[in-house]
Amino acid sequence: MSVLREMLENLFSRPFTILYPKEKVPIPVGFRGKIAIVDEKCIGCSRCARVCPAECITMIPDETEIEVKGKKIVRKKRPVVKFFRCIRCGLCEQYCPSEAIIMKCQLSESGTDKEVLVQ
Amino acid sequence: MPQVILPIGPQHPALKEPVNFKVIVDGETIVGLELDVSYTHRGIEKAAEQRDFIRVVPLLERVCGICSHAHGTAFVMGIEEVMQLEIPPRAQYIRTIVAELERMHSHILWLGVAAHVVGFNTLFMWTWRDRETTQDLLEEMTGNRMNYGINEVGGVRRDLTPGQITSALSRLPKLEEQIAKYVDMVMNQETMLLRFRGIGKLSKAEALKYGTVGPTARASGVDYDIRRDDPYIAYSEIPWKVVTDTSGDVFGRTLVRIGELQESLGIIRYCLEHLPEGQIGVPAPKVAPVAEILSRYEAPRGELVHFIRTNNTDRVERIDIRTPTLANWTSVTVSLVNQNIADIPVIVAAIDPCLSCTSRITILSERGRKTAEMTWDQLSEYGRKSSRERDRC
Repeated sequence: MSVLREMLENLFSRPFTILYPKEKVPIPVGFRGKIAIVDEKCIGCSRCARVCPAECITMIPDETEIEVKGKKIVRKKRPVVKFFRCIRCGLCEQYCPSEAIIMKCQLSESGTDKEVLVQ
Repeated sequence: MPQVILPIGPQHPALKEPVNFKVIVDGETIVGLELDVSYTHRGIEKAAEQRDFIRVVPLLERVCGICSHAHGTAFVMGIEEVMQLEIPPRAQYIRTIVAELERMHSHILWLGVAAHVVGFNTLFMWTWRDRETTQDLLEEMTGNRMNYGINEVGGVRRDLTPGQITSALSRLPKLEEQIAKYVDMVMNQETMLLRFRGIGKLSKAEALKYGTVGPTARASGVDYDIRRDDPYIAYSEIPWKVVTDTSGDVFGRTLVRIGELQESLGIIRYCLEHLPEGQIGVPAPKVAPVAEILSRYEAPRGELVHFIRTNNTDRVERIDIRTPTLANWTSVTVSLVNQNIADIPVIVAAIDPCLSCTSRITILSERGRKTAEMTWDQLSEYGRKSSRERDRC
């Protein structure tokens, strides 16, 4: 009887399935999504590269003048991320002292080329 | 009657993961079973030895997709004990909430799979629909549907906001209502009863003899649960009871899992309502002193054991993971005997096997072409020999 009741209830209720990509899937605040680098905030400390479990972050030479807390400094390096190697654990975001590497609140893409870079 | 060997796998349309069964049959009746589970060896233990305590946690979470929090927590609990860290109660409660949500999603998923293997696909669809509630809660609390990344050595990485707590509490009654419906369906539906009752019997003595763990053991009357018998995180402070059954068949295992679903829901509600205030972590030292530790955790499928050896560095010297599925496989070879061939999927599914996390060792012949077997004595001797060699170095 319980099966019949549930069937009837479902018959008169709205479909549960979300027709992605036509309809968007709701993404909660704090979702660990697509990785992104905010270049002007990066101080080139390499912490993100050291904590990355997938070793997808490498530091490349890049001498740029940036402003940190009102002071101007010259950073020596900046990170590049191998996009499809990233496992989105969020450790880089957690350990970054200047919020320069973030996990965006949007779904990450999928692909097969492990060498695609995020700069 | 002549006996026939019926090979199933390692690649087979009915299998979700690679495993090789050699079923010895006499007509339609099963006489014996030989198993080979070593098709998914990933060398994850060695990979874990190369990473420091920060980078190893996301790796260990990926030992198993469904019990990811179980592996992460078992490991960090072990390291925290070695480092003698006092973890704040709020962090322990958050770990418990995630652990129980994980158990719920695992058991609901299992119920769907069990219904699917007996051809009751309607229940499969309904259970998986309602499993989305637990997945959404996990996603909101941790940032991901799977591989939650909530743990770190010293505490948890994210706090729960009052909004998240209220939202979680508001969605629990609907889930409770749905679970009650499943209990009713499982107890009364002829489809389930005919395929589950009296199938894959395992007596209490057999369950103990073969070292069965988790819901499989509890369904045979073994009153044993790590959460109660060796309490960790916040379980000692929470009122709940261990669910057992005495029938020992697939139906019993279903009842235990459904009972655990209701218990887990109660634990989550209690934790959310009584979440202590305070810190969510303490700073952890970078290195762990020389120690050997056995960390035990009641994963959704049963007792999970992490053996950890540290050596005064920032990484483990050795980690050995004994997953619950490995402990339960031997019980399958016993409970399949004298059963019908058509019941293989149900009996195998009843232990909720997870193969990718089970495979730990593959012994290859010298040319590397064939897999080999080792007796217990040979394995002990091999262990002693490698231990002596390590000490000499």
